[in-house]
Formats: sequence, structure tokens, C-alpha cells
Amino acid sequence: MSEFLHMGKYAQYVWPAYGIVLVCFLLNIYWARRALAQARAEARRRLAIQKENE
Amino acid sequence: MSALATAVLSPAAVSSPLDAARLVVARDLKLAFRNREQIVQPLAFFAIVITLFPLATTAELSRLREIAPGALWVAAFLAALLALEFLFRDDSQDGTLEQYALSGQSLTWLILAKTATHWLLTGVPLALVSPLAAGALGVPWEATPGILAGIALGSFALSLVGAIGAALTLGVKRGGVLLSVLVLPLAVPVLIFGARATQLAIAGQSYVAALELLAAMAVLGVTLAPLAAAAAVRISLE
Amino acid sequence: MAWTWFHRLGSPPYVYRLAQRLTPWFAWSAGIILIGATFDALVLAPPDYQQGEGYRMLFIHAPSAWMSTMVYTTMAIAAAVGLIWRIKVAHAVAASCATLGATFTAATLATGMLWGKPMWGAYWVWDPRLTFELVLLFLYLGYIGLRASFDDVQRADRASAVLAIVGVIDVPLIHYSVVWWNSLHQPASVMKLGTPSIAPVMLIPLLAMFLGCTLYFAALLLTRLRGEILRRERAATWIREVLAS
Repeated sequence: MSEFLHMGKYAQYVWPAYGIVLVCFLLNIYWARRALAQARAEARRRLAIQKENE
Repeated sequence: MSALATAVLSPAAVSSPLDAARLVVARDLKLAFRNREQIVQPLAFFAIVITLFPLATTAELSRLREIAPGALWVAAFLAALLALEFLFRDDSQDGTLEQYALSGQSLTWLILAKTATHWLLTGVPLALVSPLAAGALGVPWEATPGILAGIALGSFALSLVGAIGAALTLGVKRGGVLLSVLVLPLAVPVLIFGARATQLAIAGQSYVAALELLAAMAVLGVTLAPLAAAAAVRISLE
Repeated sequence: MAWTWFHRLGSPPYVYRLAQRLTPWFAWSAGIILIGATFDALVLAPPDYQQGEGYRMLFIHAPSAWMSTMVYTTMAIAAAVGLIWRIKVAHAVAASCATLGATFTAATLATGMLWGKPMWGAYWVWDPRLTFELVLLFLYLGYIGLRASFDDVQRADRASAVLAIVGVIDVPLIHYSVVWWNSLHQPASVMKLGTPSIAPVMLIPLLAMFLGCTLYFAALLLTRLRGEILRRERAATWIREVLAS
């Protein structure tokens, strides 16, 4: 197990690299879902305003 | 000023694209000599940036000579960016650009004429001043032709490519920084080969190949950049 | 027959609903494949005889690099389609690509630096391929910045489309830089004609990573696409229905 974590002396490079990529992947999922939620909320607001004006 | 612009458009006065281009060039030259800061400011900025290098690194001429190619091109690029702000700004503000777009003439061609004039007013003076700047950085006088030719060609390519960025950021408030971000990707090849040509010239070696590559980029720019800039201008004018 | 399907792709409600249905499929398959591929990459694949365990960077660096250019090309093509034929959905696709592509590019540069330090001895060299990849990052950032500077979505669409199209020349520069110049960077060993020059036991996790990343991109693209379509539609009854679902 410790050999695995050690990555044959490359640990200080391999793990941060995989870590950065993982963080990027997770961030993008969060951003995309948030963008969609914001767009839906905006659309709701627009429809509500339109309904009022009718 | 608008009278000159209207003259471009009325079909009676102008029959050929060449006449239209001639009018655009004449107008831009006239206006530039009335507002001389357009020509002076980029040159002054160039001089200031060049001065920063010995202040920030070393006063030793032999070591300055090594960074001279990079310093010259960084300063030239920044000065060109500053100058690009003047390319479309006044014309878009007083409605002339809109007139150009609405006239029957090809906007691409008119933009090429404007960009070429802009280069004459900013790039050529820059090229003429660059050997002096190079001398200040410890570069031997023999390198002058190479430096002159390189910066002349490179600034032309930068004007062309920069026109695209200037057109895209026309309507944007405080678009100066965005302009730099947009122009940089397209300017990178010019900077790389320009610096290379200058480096070879300083070392006393043959710089013809690098100059040819710069010329090729300028030719590519002439054919494609005004097209993209015209498209961007039309979008900005909507 | 094919044309009606193509036509429907221009219709925002159709695309929205299609995206809604497809996203879970892409998302789940991406998740499963990526987890499997990562396990394969870190545990199952044997160490390289030259680079030891350090070569495992390949499994995240190469797919990121491939995605960074592939996403930009997608963005440029969508932008061109939107600009030439004035199709809003195409512009929406281009807008959805930007942040993802920028992230892949940043990840490529970061993993490249972490791979370069142990193998080449330097975090960064002004090598053609690295330089053009950095330029790609600037293109993405410029695209995002340009979009943000416009209040009107339609003008933002068209202006950024011009930028995306002009910048696409960077993509072949990145790919062929290792061919045209003497580069420190390794030339293509997978994406070349003929059989790949890499051992199957290493090729499989690599290809699995490529596939997983592509599915992941598809899932997030479709997610963002839905929001971008909503932003470009003025009120329409279909929005009411869709918001309720």
C-alpha cells in the first residue's frame, strides 16, 4: 500500500496531478449544474413578469 | 470630417474601390496630423518600456545586448497595442465607420486601407526609432537594417491581426485589457519570428529566412485579417 | 429523412428535451468508465521501464490535451454554423463549450508541468507545442471575456464566433508542432496512421480515459446547453412546460 502511495519516488508529481484533474472535473460539474439552475430561475422570472404584463 | 466620409459613399463621386481607398487613406492621414498624439503616444510608450529594461535588469551593455531582441519586441508589441486603440475609435464614435459599412464599397477593402494607413502612422515610425532603442541596449549599428526590416514587417502583421481585436472590442467599455488578451494569441507567431530575426541580425548572421516567414505572415494577414475585422465591425455596429 | 432530423436540431425545444433525456446516460457512463479507467491507470497498468511509476501522468495528460483541442474545434464549428446560418442553437453549443475547454487546457498545462519536472528537469520550456497550448488557453479566456463584455446575448454570440473561428488555426499548430519543429515534446504515438506504438496493457486505460472524458464532456455540454438555450429564448409555451418538469 505504501508502495502504491509512494509511486516509485514520483509521488509528489503523480498525486498532485491526479488531484488537480479530479478537482477540475468536480468543479465543472458544479459550475454546469449551477449555470443551468440560474438559467432556469431567470426563465421563471421572465415568464412571471410576462404573465403580469398580460 | 463627415463631408470626406460622405464623399466616399456617394456613387457619383466614387466609382472604383481604388478611389474609395484613396479617400479613406487621405482622410485618416489628415486626421492623424491634426491629432498628433495618435502618433506620438505609442512612440513615447515604446521609449519608456525600452528604458525600463536596463533599469529593471542590468546596466551592463553586453548583458543588455542579450535581452535586446526580446525587449525590443515586447516594447513594440505593447506600443502597437496602445496604437490599436486609435484604429477604429474615432470613426466609430462619429459615425463614419457606420457610413463605411453602409456604403456600397467593400468594407473589407476599406478596413485594409485603414489598417495600412494606421501602420504607416504607427508601425513605420516605430521601425525607424527601433535602431536607436537597440543602440541604447548595446546593439551594434551593423544590425540596424535587420532590426528595421523586422520591426517594419512585424508591426504591419500586428496591425492587421490587431484590427480584428480592435473591431471585436469596439463597443466594449474599458476594452483595453480585453484587446490585449484577444490580440496576443494571434500575435504570438509574429513575436516569435520577429524576435528570432532580430536576434540573428544582432549576432551578425543571416536573418533572411526569418524575415521571409514574417513576410509570409504579413501576406496571410493581408488576405484574411481585414475580412474577419469587417465581420467584427458589422457585428459591433448592430 | 435525414434532413428532418437535421432540421429538428435547429429547434430549441427539441434540442432542450433531447439534451434532458440524454444527459443522464452520458453522465453515468462517463462516471463508470472514468472510475474504471483511473483504477486501471493507477493500479493495474504496469510501470514503464524508462519512466517507472511517473509515466502514469500520461493517462490524464494526454486525454486532457486531446479534449482541449477537440472542445475548441467543436466550439469553432458550432460558432461558424451559428454565424453563417444564424442558428441560435449552434451559438448555444459554442457558449457551452468555453469553460470546459478552458479547464481541460489548464489541466493539460498543469499535468504537463508536473510531468516535465521529473522527466525533463524543468516545469516549463518555451517549446512550440507548450507555447501553442498556452496560446489556446488565452484564446479560451479571451472568448469567455469577450462574451462577458456584451450585455446582449446575440451580439456576444456573433462577436465571440468571429474570435473562435479566427483562433482555430492554433489547433493544427498544436498538433503538428512536434512534426514541424525540433521539439522537446514527444511526438504522437497514438494519434498517427498505422498501429499505435504503445503496449496494449497501457493503451487500454489510455483509450478508456479518452472515452470517459468525451462522455463527461458530452454530459456537461448538454447540461450547459439547456441553460444557454433558455437564455436565448424569449417567452414561449414550451419553456413553461419544460420548467415544470
